[in-house]
Formats: sequence, C-alpha cells, structure tokens
Amino acid sequence: MLEVFVEIWHSLPLVLQVGFKIAAILFPLLAMVAYYTFAERKVIGYMQLRVGPNRVGPRGWLQPIADAVKLMFKEIIIPTNAERQLFLIAPVLALAPALAAWAVIPFTDTLVLADIDASLLFVLALTSLGVYGVIIAGWASNSKYAFLGAMRSAAQIVAYEIAMGFALVGVLMAAGSLNLREIVLAQAGGFFQWYFIPLFPLFVVYLVSGVAETNRAPFDVAEGESEIVAGFHVEYSGMAFAVFFLAEYANMILISALTVIMFLGGWQPPLDMAPFTWVPGIVWFFGKLALVAFLFLWFRATFPRYRYDQIMRLGWKVFIPVTLVWIGVIGAAKFFTPFGFLFS
Amino acid sequence: MNFLQFSFYLFSVILIVAASLVVTVRNPVKAVLYLVLVFFSAACIWLTLEAEFLAIVLVLVYVGAVMVLFLFVVMMLDIDVARLREGFTQYLPAGLVIAGVMVAELAVVMLSGRFSLDAIPRPVGRGADYSNTRELGLVLYTDYVYAFEIAALILLVAIIAAISLTFRRRGGTKVQVIAEQLRVTKADRLRIVKMSSEITDGEKSQ
Amino acid sequence: MLRIFIRFIKTYFLWELLRGLALTGSRLFRRKFTVQYPDEKTPKSPRFRGLHALRRYPNGEERCIACKLCEAVCPAVAITIESEEREDGTRRTTRYDVDLFKCVYCGFCEEACPVDSIVLTDIHEFHFEGREGTVIDKAGLLAIGDRYESSIATAREHDAPYR
Repeated sequence: MLEVFVEIWHSLPLVLQVGFKIAAILFPLLAMVAYYTFAERKVIGYMQLRVGPNRVGPRGWLQPIADAVKLMFKEIIIPTNAERQLFLIAPVLALAPALAAWAVIPFTDTLVLADIDASLLFVLALTSLGVYGVIIAGWASNSKYAFLGAMRSAAQIVAYEIAMGFALVGVLMAAGSLNLREIVLAQAGGFFQWYFIPLFPLFVVYLVSGVAETNRAPFDVAEGESEIVAGFHVEYSGMAFAVFFLAEYANMILISALTVIMFLGGWQPPLDMAPFTWVPGIVWFFGKLALVAFLFLWFRATFPRYRYDQIMRLGWKVFIPVTLVWIGVIGAAKFFTPFGFLFS
Repeated sequence: MNFLQFSFYLFSVILIVAASLVVTVRNPVKAVLYLVLVFFSAACIWLTLEAEFLAIVLVLVYVGAVMVLFLFVVMMLDIDVARLREGFTQYLPAGLVIAGVMVAELAVVMLSGRFSLDAIPRPVGRGADYSNTRELGLVLYTDYVYAFEIAALILLVAIIAAISLTFRRRGGTKVQVIAEQLRVTKADRLRIVKMSSEITDGEKSQ
Repeated sequence: MLRIFIRFIKTYFLWELLRGLALTGSRLFRRKFTVQYPDEKTPKSPRFRGLHALRRYPNGEERCIACKLCEAVCPAVAITIESEEREDGTRRTTRYDVDLFKCVYCGFCEEACPVDSIVLTDIHEFHFEGREGTVIDKAGLLAIGDRYESSIATAREHDAPYR
C-alpha cells in the first residue's frame, strides 16, 4: 500500500511535488499561527488570574476560527486619499517574507524543503524585507498615527536587525557553516553542546532582539495603544488587518524556530541517551519551538512597555557592542588560544 | 528556451521596466519602491548565475537597510513636483549632452571587445557542494586582503567623518544619564511614613 | 567592591527581569478569580438598583397616589406622570412612564416615595431590541411589580434594619 503512494509521488511532476511540500509546511504553519493567538490570550489570561476565552467550542478551542470568520466577513475600508494599490499590497509584503523563510528551516535532518548552502543568509535577507510591509502600510494609509507607527517600527526593526545579524555571525563562526542543517548538526551530543551555553550573551541578544524585531511587548511602541492608537495598521480592517496579524504571529514563530535552530540544538535530543533518542527529532524541534514561543507570551504578560529612546539605546549602544565583543572573543579563542573547542 | 533563460528574460524585463519607472514615476516614494524592485530583480539574476552570496547580500544590505533609510527620508520630504519642473527646459540641453556622453562612454567600453562573449567565458556550473561564500571569503582574505582591509578602513573613516561633521552639541538640551537612572534604589526615592489609620485624640487637639 | 560586582552580575544576567518573570510565572498556576458570568453569578446587595417597578398593597390596590414627588426629584427627568380623580374620589395616576434610556438608576424616586410605590428591583438583565420599548408605561411597571413582589418585599425586609 505504502509503495503505491511512494510510486505515485515520484511520478508527479517536480512542480507539483514542491507545491505539495509547500502546502504541507504552510497549512500547519497557519494553523499554528491561529492557535498561537489563542494560546496568547489563554496564557496572558492565566498569568493575570483570569481564564481567557472559553466560550466558543469546548474550553474555547474554536475561538481562533470564530475570529477568522469574523474578520473575513468584515468590510475592508480604504481611507480617502490613501494610495490604493500600496495600501492593499502592504499586508501581503508583511506576510510573504515571514512565510517564505520557512523554505529553508530544517525540521529534522532530512525534512527540509530547500537545503541551500547559504540558508542563514537567506533567512536574514527575508526577515529584513518584512519592514517594507510596515513602512508602506504606514505611508499609504495617509494617516498621521499610521505614519508615526511606521516610522517607529521601521527604525526599531532596522536597529535590532543589526544586533540579530551579529548574533548570528557568532553562531556561524562557532558552527563554521551558513547552512542551518549543518549548524544543528554541529550541536549534536546533548544539551551541553548547544550553542546557548558558549554563546550565552549572543543567545540573550538574539532572543531580545527577536522580541523587538517582531514589535512585541515590551517593545511594541510601534503600536503603542496609548499614544498612537494602533500604529501602522490603524486604518486596516477585516481581512487586510488579519493578514498583518498573521504576519506578526508568523514572524514570532519564525524567530522561535530560528532560536531553536541556532542556539537550542534544533531537532537534537537534550541528552544523547536511550530514552531521549526514542522520541523523533521533529517532536523535539516543535517542543523547543513551543517553549521559545511561550517565552514571547510570558514576556508580554510580565514587562511594561519600554520607552522609545531607551529601545534605541538598548539596540545601538548595548546589544551591538555586546555582540561585537563576543564575536571578537570567539574569534580570538578559536584561532589564538587552545580554548577554541569551547566554541565549537 | 529552457527555464534558466526564461527566468533571465523575465527578471531582465522586470528590472528594465522598474528602472525606467524609477525615473518617470511622479511620486518619489513610489520611485524608491521601484528601485527596490530593481535591486530585487538584479539579485534574482545573480542567483541564476550561481552567485548566491552576492545576490543575498544585495537584498540584505541594499533592500533591507539602505533603501529603508532612503524611504525614510523621501517619505518625510514634502516635494513640490511643479517647482522641481520649473527649470526643466532650461537644463534640458545640458542634461542631454551629459547623457549622450555617458552613453557614448559606455558604448566604447562595451564594444571594445573586453566584454564580448569570447573575452568572458561562460561561467562553469558547479556542483552542489560548491560554496560561493567560502570561495569569496578565501579570495577576499588571501589574494586581496590589503585592498579589502584598506577599503574597510576608508569606510570606517568615512563613517566617523560623517558623524563628526554633522554632530554638534547644542546648549540647553536636556540629557538623561541612564546609568544614574538605573542605579536608583527604592531608598533614594521613597520615604515610608508610619501613621495610624484613624485620628487619635492627641492629634485632634493640635 | 563586592556590592558593585554583585550588581554587575545581576545586570548582565538580567536578574530583575527574571524576578518579574518568576512572579508572573507563579501566577500561571494560581486559582483564577474569573466568575463565569451567565453560569455563575455573584451575590447581589438587597439595595441593588435595577429595573423599576410599581407595587401594590396586599389587597390589590395600587400604592401610587400621584404625589409626583418622584417626578420632581428625578435628576434625569425620566419620569412622566399624569393624574386624575378616580370614581371613588381618590387621586390616581392615569399615566406613569419611565424612560429607561434617561434613567440613571440613582434610586431617588424610591427614596422620595411616601408610600413605597415606585421601587428599583434587582433585575439587571434586561435589554431592548428596537427603538420602542425603552419607555415602560404604568401597566408594564405594575406587571413587573406583581411578578417580582416577593423578591422586592424580601429585599426591603433585609434592608429595613439599616434605614
């Protein structure tokens, strides 16, 4: 029975095969995004001693579907004097990079859509494109709040991208490869081999920059409700708003996945021993991903919003120097001292 | 026409159309966005040449950072197109002459034979394990290490020069010393006063 | 010196942020305070001021004597009263309207009433589905009073010692 399916699969044209693979990544991803929003409301509710949404479906499990249906049937309002085409393109520009980056994410040793050589650079390039959706949305809305939000968010994303990029430079120095799969393979052999221990400062910088990069609390000044209503997406409604929402959460999951791959050993079990190796790698991968994704929600439930000038200070004057120093430390240790093994 | 040729022509057409739109479109923000599209198509063409490192870096640096700053500036500007066009006919002859000279120069270089198909052989296709990035790094840090380091130094000097030229301290600006703010403890700011919740007789008489 | 070192370590390991996270993290497992409203309800005070009602005496006679004190005291001018002499010579209202959109549920009408006729019941779950029905007339108010007389009476009885 199984051979029949395998044969059918191999007889399909390549375009269809790739199409099916993309669908196999995208649909679970979108479902994950939907239930991530639900998890967020539940987790933050629990931390605030509330119970969160629990009315739609058993224990509220159908809430994201209800939200999606509601947003789909709402009217998309285009403000007067808005740039019509750009206004409608912006949400797509925000979502597309967040989804496209999943093409190179290795779920396990063999389960990766495109095992390209410079996948780390590819991810970096795509995440840097996400800012266009925000800027264009803010500009095309023809609204001062949206514009201010876009300016804030763009400045923040550009600033933290540099720190993120440098943190990843540290990882690629340790792993000696730009390929995400090889980076994970370099971390094999138990949790003490994972890069979050030797590269701890970079791990912290990457995680915090990831929160800032996705405009999440406590770095959510781009949509600071109390100051500029909702930031760059004030003028959006219905499905166009939903796409922005999807993009934000897809980006969060992407950053979580990248953190897992770079610093937490990807699909590798925490100990290279019998009971841990029985569990398939993909379970470890998604387990760690869920853990990091939970951190995002935990941060939001805990920290008050940062002031804008302090965000900029943290990005430029703290994180970038920290990453630069640690890159220097790694380089010096690897090539001039016998302690290079600590970083590989 | 195989897939590679098709994609080359597709990206080239997009690139040329977008490039001509950059100079013709009226809205400066849209012009910048078309320029982004130009860079992106150029990156795609480089990808078909197996220059994936250069292509991705083009997207990362130019599209992801430089053009964002461009957009920043252009969005803030309130450009009056009518006033910009005032001297159009007056400067047209000079502009045409300069454009003509540039085209002629390019033509001389291109037709000299140095860039013909014979002079530059078709790049050989490499295997899957060939790393463009590694090769580029090896060349940069061995054969061209001095040129590379000097270029880096010049860029650094340029950055510092630009900052020091534009940076000026104005009097009367208020600055926060964040380190001091962080060093503050509860004892510095808060004084707890003990008092009874009800007014006692002794206090009433005062 | 040691103190500076400790502070340095605390800053770099984000000690205070971790303490904040620990606080919210521990709340994750606490008992939740949420009242699941339509299923669970919190107890209401006997003084709760909800929907209006007109009461009757036990013999069925309506209490209201059309003194119009409630109309006069109402800060929102939500009450409209017209009165006439009945066949038996007593003064009674012919019209007693409460505009629920104007009413601020202050309870002054109840305080002003010399015969405990107009009262605010503890009904708060009422709604309108159109523009009409926002004004309750005399018949409606009396009907509410008849229907909830027992609960109105017990609430007044509970509150009596404190008045």
